[in-house]
Amino acid sequence: MSKNYKFIDHTADIAVKLEGSTLEEMFNAGAEAWLVSVLEKNNLKADDLLDIDIIANSKEELLVSFLNELNFLLSTKKWLCLSIQSIKIFEDSKGCEVSAELNGVTVKKNLQLKQEIKSVTYHQMAIVKKRNIYSTRVVFDI
Amino acid sequence: MNIGGIELVKIRENLWEIPATGKMRVPGRIYISRDMIEKGLKDDEALKQVVNVAHLPGIEKYSLAMPDIHWGYGFPIGGVAATNLDEGVISPGGVGYDINCGVRLATTNLEHERIKNRIDELVSKLFNAIPTGVGASGAIKKLSTNDLKKVLTKGSVWAVENDLGTPSDVEFTEETGTLKNADTDAVSKRAFERGADQVGTLGSGNHFLEVDVVEEIYDAKVAEVFGMFKGQIVVQIHTGSRGLGYQVCDDYLKVLLQASNKYGFKLPDKQLACAPIKSKEGQDYLAAMQAAANFAWNNRQVIMHLAKNVFKETFGMKDSELGFRLVYDVCHNIAKIEKHKIGKEEKEVCVHRKGATRAFPPNSKMIPEKYQGVGQPVLIPGDMGRYSYVTVGTEKAMEETFGSSCHGAGRNLSRTKALKNAKGRDLIEELKQKGIVIQAKGYKTIAEEMPGAYKDVSDVVEVMHKEGITRKVAKIKPVGVIKG
Repeated sequence: MSKNYKFIDHTADIAVKLEGSTLEEMFNAGAEAWLVSVLEKNNLKADDLLDIDIIANSKEELLVSFLNELNFLLSTKKWLCLSIQSIKIFEDSKGCEVSAELNGVTVKKNLQLKQEIKSVTYHQMAIVKKRNIYSTRVVFDI
Repeated sequence: MNIGGIELVKIRENLWEIPATGKMRVPGRIYISRDMIEKGLKDDEALKQVVNVAHLPGIEKYSLAMPDIHWGYGFPIGGVAATNLDEGVISPGGVGYDINCGVRLATTNLEHERIKNRIDELVSKLFNAIPTGVGASGAIKKLSTNDLKKVLTKGSVWAVENDLGTPSDVEFTEETGTLKNADTDAVSKRAFERGADQVGTLGSGNHFLEVDVVEEIYDAKVAEVFGMFKGQIVVQIHTGSRGLGYQVCDDYLKVLLQASNKYGFKLPDKQLACAPIKSKEGQDYLAAMQAAANFAWNNRQVIMHLAKNVFKETFGMKDSELGFRLVYDVCHNIAKIEKHKIGKEEKEVCVHRKGATRAFPPNSKMIPEKYQGVGQPVLIPGDMGRYSYVTVGTEKAMEETFGSSCHGAGRNLSRTKALKNAKGRDLIEELKQKGIVIQAKGYKTIAEEMPGAYKDVSDVVEVMHKEGITRKVAKIKPVGVIKG
């Protein structure tokens, strides 16, 4: 499958453009870009499945919260999300929700990570749909 | 001059104004040289961010930027804005994720000439004693929630109470190491989780501990008051509130995005989400941010204590012989309630400093008694291959920049470009040739943080010196570096 993310040169942080024919695909691209940003070489095998459910007021907030959840799991539980087994996004007038099953692994303390993402930011983020493709830019603060 | 559609009007040699247009509430003002604008700001979003900040409700006088201005999110890095307490707002975008990221400088009685053959050993021991790198933990035992609450309330006073510092360390820390209105109830469980085992850790990225030598003294009188002399070994520590601070920022961005809608603020960037300072949302963020700031002061204090012990052990010296003394600790990512002159009257405002350092003048009640005659030390780190500066605050900073100055060099190259430039080179050896010993968790960090990746900090410091905002006191040069 071709990559749905593309890194954009940014002087101080990491900027990435995400795309997808569905919101789910675009969120999946976000998770892939996040993983590539934190892990140097991906030779780890997932041996665990984790359910997450996040609600937010907007799609942008949902994407930030979703990616920050991956960050939180890694920094506090040492649990690294390697791929997404399934993902569903719901939207109505009150807000939106993402439910996902994550494939991952508990990493060893001495695992050398590439860099620390302090947070996923809202800067320049605007999810748009053009010609049936969802896209947005995301900036990771490192 | 017009940069990317933004008009810049020259006010002085190193001061440029963006006139207020559209919905800007105040003009923008940037302390920078023409050369630095042309070299660094042409392909950057930073000027647009100065304009964006000028839209904040209650902003006073100017949306300011220091000469190390570069593209951030919300505020530019190097941005300063003061908002009034009546209808003004507070914004996490004006503080950043790494709340109270800052620098401290300690002096010793050691002379470089006498210990230069032992820098390797010293750096190696420092690297073993101070956890560095992504998610670094375990410098001291993992704190219980109750202990962590004490850290968040007391700041570096907690370290002193736990034999990880001295009362003098607290005296020479901005705000004496404690913001008094911190409220642990405003800090989420998630933030506690992220901070529990990170006290006393450097982290990764541009954070560092440096052993430096005083290379040049510009102002002998002030240097003497700061306890500095040429050839002296000093220690510089740059880190912040680690995961706890990042989480506080995350948590409150969500709250303040909602608040921005609630209060009807139309903002040009979501990352400028804000709430009136007087509102519950604003007060909650302020209380949580202060708690994270206290965590950061305590963090730098614990790291300094660990470093001091390494020095004592390495050189077999007692405290009195080593003379390890904190010159000052400054934060450069913060929002604080301070008194400033607005027009003819002095009033309380909320000063946001995002990549900017407080620079208070002589006789300020907010600085230690020892520095009353000269002003506050303002610490400006450069890159690991060149130099850093110790400068001092002035009255002019109070008049023009809400008592603020620059905070560092600012990146010149993206990390990707730095890695490309580093290909095929042995940076450790290159630094060694310059008399600098470096130890880091991974070579990639060294490559990303290589000296050429940063602007020359002397250009930045020179602008503030020429404009009289901060005056140069001393230049220090790294001889040993540890990084994440």
